[in-house]
Amino acid sequence: MAIMPSRQLDLTLGQKLWQVNWGLVFLITVTASVGFGMLYSAASGEFAPWATRQMMRFGVGLVLMIIVAVSNIHFWLRYAYIIYIASFSSLIFVELFGSVGMGAQRWIDLGFMSLQPSEVMKSAVILALARYFYASRMEDVERFTYLMFPLMLVAAPMAMIIRQPDLGTALLLAVSGVAVFFLAGVRLWVFVAAGIAAIGAIVPVWHLVLLDYQKARLLTYLRPEQDPLGSGYHVMQSKIALGSGGIFGKGFLAGSQSHLSFLPEKHTDFIFTMLAEEFGMMGGLTLIGLYALLLIYGFAISLRCRHHFGRLLGMGIMTMFFLNFFVNVAMVMGLLPVVGMPLPLVSYGGSAMLTLMFGFGLLLNVYVHRDVYLGPGAADGNV
Amino acid sequence: MIFERIRHPFAPSGQCGDSPNMELPERIVFEGARKQALETGRNRLMVTGVLFALAFVMIGGRVVELTLVSKNISERPPRLANTDPALNVRADITDRNGILLATSLPTAALYANPRHVLDADEAAGKLSQVLPDITLEKVRALLSSDKTFVWLHRNLTPKLQFAVNALGIPGLYFQQTERRVYPHGPLVSHVIGMTNIDGEGLSGVEGYFNGQLRGRQQALQLSLDIRMQAVVRTELAKAMEKFSAIGAAGIVLDVETGEVISIVSLPDFNPNNPVSAAGIAGFNRATKGVYEMGSTFKLFTAAIALDSGRVRLRDRYDATKPIRVSRFKISDYHAKNKWMTVPEILVHSSNIGSAKMALDVGTLAQKKYLKKMGMLSPAGIELPEVGSPLTPDRWRDINTMTISYGHGIAVSPLQLTAGVAALVNDGYLRNATLVKWVDDELPAGMRVISTKTSKIMRRLMRLVVRQGTGKNADVEGYVIGGKTGTADKPEVTKRGYGGRRRISSFVSAFPMTGPRFVVLALLDEPKGIPESQGYATGGWVAAPVVKNIVWQIAPMAGIEPSSVVEMDPKPGDVFYVAADGKRVSEQSSETRKKKSTASKVSGLETDFDRRLSDILSSTKEQRGPTVAVN
Repeated sequence: MAIMPSRQLDLTLGQKLWQVNWGLVFLITVTASVGFGMLYSAASGEFAPWATRQMMRFGVGLVLMIIVAVSNIHFWLRYAYIIYIASFSSLIFVELFGSVGMGAQRWIDLGFMSLQPSEVMKSAVILALARYFYASRMEDVERFTYLMFPLMLVAAPMAMIIRQPDLGTALLLAVSGVAVFFLAGVRLWVFVAAGIAAIGAIVPVWHLVLLDYQKARLLTYLRPEQDPLGSGYHVMQSKIALGSGGIFGKGFLAGSQSHLSFLPEKHTDFIFTMLAEEFGMMGGLTLIGLYALLLIYGFAISLRCRHHFGRLLGMGIMTMFFLNFFVNVAMVMGLLPVVGMPLPLVSYGGSAMLTLMFGFGLLLNVYVHRDVYLGPGAADGNV
Repeated sequence: MIFERIRHPFAPSGQCGDSPNMELPERIVFEGARKQALETGRNRLMVTGVLFALAFVMIGGRVVELTLVSKNISERPPRLANTDPALNVRADITDRNGILLATSLPTAALYANPRHVLDADEAAGKLSQVLPDITLEKVRALLSSDKTFVWLHRNLTPKLQFAVNALGIPGLYFQQTERRVYPHGPLVSHVIGMTNIDGEGLSGVEGYFNGQLRGRQQALQLSLDIRMQAVVRTELAKAMEKFSAIGAAGIVLDVETGEVISIVSLPDFNPNNPVSAAGIAGFNRATKGVYEMGSTFKLFTAAIALDSGRVRLRDRYDATKPIRVSRFKISDYHAKNKWMTVPEILVHSSNIGSAKMALDVGTLAQKKYLKKMGMLSPAGIELPEVGSPLTPDRWRDINTMTISYGHGIAVSPLQLTAGVAALVNDGYLRNATLVKWVDDELPAGMRVISTKTSKIMRRLMRLVVRQGTGKNADVEGYVIGGKTGTADKPEVTKRGYGGRRRISSFVSAFPMTGPRFVVLALLDEPKGIPESQGYATGGWVAAPVVKNIVWQIAPMAGIEPSSVVEMDPKPGDVFYVAADGKRVSEQSSETRKKKSTASKVSGLETDFDRRLSDILSSTKEQRGPTVAVN
C-alpha cells in the first residue's frame, strides 16, 4: 500500500542527526540542569552524593536518547510487542526475585545498577498500544471486542504493579492508556461507561486492594491538617516551605525548611518544593514554564507527524510525561494525595531518568521520521 | 521552525514537506472513513492539548496561591498531639539534694458495670478471695446494684490486676491510674501533705502547689534537707517520749535565705496510709498551731527596747519585788530579787524586768516593731495550713507588759523562728520558704532592726546559753545562742492559766559568730521527771533537744567547730552578768558609783507606779487571761 517510500528511511546517519530536533534536546538539558542545581542544593552545596550521579545518568540517557532518535522507526513498530513481552517478563521476575526497597518490591538488581521494570513498562505499554492502533480503521475501533486486546495490554501490567505495591505508577499507566484509547478514536460512550464502572469499583478496591498506607495517604490528602505529625506531615511541611519562599525565594542553598530537614524526601518527590522555597514563585513558575514548553514541543511533533503510529506514540509518551509532572507538582502543593511520584527530569533517580530519556528518544524518532508512511503491513516488514 | 511546520499538520504527503511556502486551502477536506478518522484524531489531540493547558493553569495558579496568598499556613499554631489525660503523671517532689519525697506510681483501678456482670454472687465470691481488703458482702452488694458503674478497687498492684484478669469475670474493667507514694513516710508527713484518691493535692505542699504539680514533668525541689529533717524528728520524738509530752514541733531555718531546712510536727502520720492522718495527728503544730510562746518573746522585747533607743544595755530595772496588777501578780520564776541590767533580765529570764522595759518603750512602739517582725500576721510560707496569730483586741499597757514576756499573744512556731532569724541576721526579716533558693542573690528582706542591735542580740543570746537558763543547749565549738521559753497554757474549761500544763521551748541560732541556722524545739505539755529534777521548763526539756540537733546537723551543713576560747564578760562590761551569789546591794552600789543610771532608775520607778495605778483603774474591763507567771 506504500504510495511513496519516504526518503527519511534512506537518510544517512549524519542526515538523521541533522534532522533531530535539537531545540527539544536543548530544552530537556536545561530542565535536567535545574535538577542538578537543586540536587547540589539538597546536599547542602555538595555534588556528592546526588548531583554527580544524576549528571552521569543524564549523560548516559542523552546518548541513549540520540541512539533511539536516529534508529529506524520500523524497528520499534516491528518489535513493539516483543519489547512489551520482555518488560512484562521483567515485572514478573521482580515479583518473584526482586529486592524490596522502602516497603515495596520494585527493583531488579542487575549487578551494575538497579532496574525498575515498572518504569520500563510505562514506555512499553505506550509502544504496544500505538502498535495495535496505528493501522486501525474507524469501524474496527467502534467494535468493543476489538478493544479487548489493548485493554489486556494495559490491565495486565497494572495488576502486577499494584501488587508490588505501587499505586501511583499503576494509575499513571491507566490514565496514559486511556489517553491513547481516546486519541485512537474510541467512542466517547466507552469512556463514560468505563468511568461509571471505575466509580463503582471504588468500594471493593478500597477494602480489598488498597493497603493501609495507601488508604492513609488518600485520607491524608482529604484532610492533611488532621495529622500534622503523621501522614499529613509531608504535605504540611511542603506547603509551609512553599509559602515561606515568597515571590523570589530565600536564595540558592538558603531554603531553611529544606536544609533543616523539615522537608522530607527533598531530593526526590519534594524537590519542586525546595526549588519554590529557594527561588520563590518566580522559580516555580519558570520550571512549570519549561515543562509547558517541553509539552508544546511534544504536542507539535505529534500534530506534525504524518502517521498514526508516531502520533499515538508521541502523544502517549507526552501524556505519560505530563501526568508524571502534574501528579508530582499537584501532590507537593496539596492538590493531590501523596503517591510517591518523582518530578520527571529533575528528581534524583536512575531508572526514571533512563526511561524518560528513552521516551524522549522515541519522540525524537517520531520527529525524524515524521513524514514516513507506515501502512498496515509496515509492522510485518512491508515497507 | 517547528511552529511553522505545524500550521498544516495533516497535509497529504508530497504536497507539503519540502515546499513550505506553498498555498494550502483553509481547511483540508478528506473523503470517507479516512477523513473521519483523521478528523477525530485531530479533534481529540486538540481536546487533550486543552486539558493539558488547563492543568498548567491550575498548577501555576496554585504556585501563586501558596507563595503569595496563603501566608497563614506557617503562622497557624500546630495542633498538639492528643495525649491521654489519665496518663498525665503528677510531678515528683524532692528535697534540696534531690532526694525523692513524693512520686507517682502507675496502678490500675478496678471498676465494674453491674449490669454486665452475669452472676453477681459467683463474681463476688471469686473477687473477695483475690482482693484481700474488700469483703464478700460489700462486693456482692456493689455488683448486685442497679448502677452501670461502681468502683471496686482504686489501686491494684500489677500482680493483683493479673489475678483479677485471670478470673475472667465479664463486666469488670480496669482504668489506668496512679498512686502517690511517699518513700519517707511520716518523716515529711505534714509538710508534704497528701493527695486524695483522684490525685488532687489536699494538704501541705501537695495542696499548695497542686496546680503546678499536675501539669509539669520537672520535679518540685523543696528547701528541706531530709537528713536534717530525720535528725530533728528523731530528737523531738525522743524528748516527747521522755517527758510524756502530748506534742512537739521543731523548725530549722536558714537565717540568710529564709529556707525551711527542716520542719517537724509531732504526733504525725503516714501519708501512705491517709487514715492515720485523722484527728490531732494531721494537725501541723509548726505552722497551723498558735501558742503563747513565753519567755522566748523577751528576745523581741529586748531588741525593741535597744533598737528604739529608749533603753540602753546598762540600764537597770528593779526586779526585787513582783508587780501587782489588780488581781494578777507578775513575778519571776528564777527570782533574783535585785536590780538587773538588760543582759541580766535575759539571762535570768526576768518577767518583771521585761515588763518594765516594755513599758519604757511604750505600747505603740512595741506594736509597730512586732508588726514589722511578722508577729501580727500569719507566717508567709507555701502551705495551706497557716495559723493566724491571736493578738489583743485592745492593746493596753497591761497587754504590753504581758506580751513582753510572751503571754497575751499567740503566734505559730514558724512566726517565732522567722522573727528570731531577723534578730540575728543583721536585722532583715524574710518570708520563710519551702522552695529551694537557687539564685545567687539573697532574697530581698525587710529591715526590722539595725545591724548594731542585731550584733548585740547575738551576744545576749550567747550569754543566755553560757550563763543563763539555756546552759543545757551548749555544744562545744558551735557557739549556740538562744532563749528558753516556758509558757503556761490557758485553761480549757475556765478562764486563766492552769498550774502544770505548759509549752516549753527553746529557740536558738548558731554559730553566733556568724549565724547560719535558727533552730526551734517546742514541746507541748511535758512533765517533769527525776532526771530534770522534776522540772519541765524550756531549759530542761527543749534546750537539750536543740543541743542534740545542732551537733548532728552542723557537720551536715559543713559548719566547722570553732576553737576560739570564749571569755565571760568581766565586771564593768555592759554584758557582765553578776553571779547568783553576789549580794544585790553590793552590786547596785558598785554600779551606782560609776553610772548615772540611778536617778533614771528611781525616776522610772515613780513613773512606773503612776502608770500602774492608771492601769489598775482600767483593768476592770480586762477580758480573758492576760497575766501569768514565768
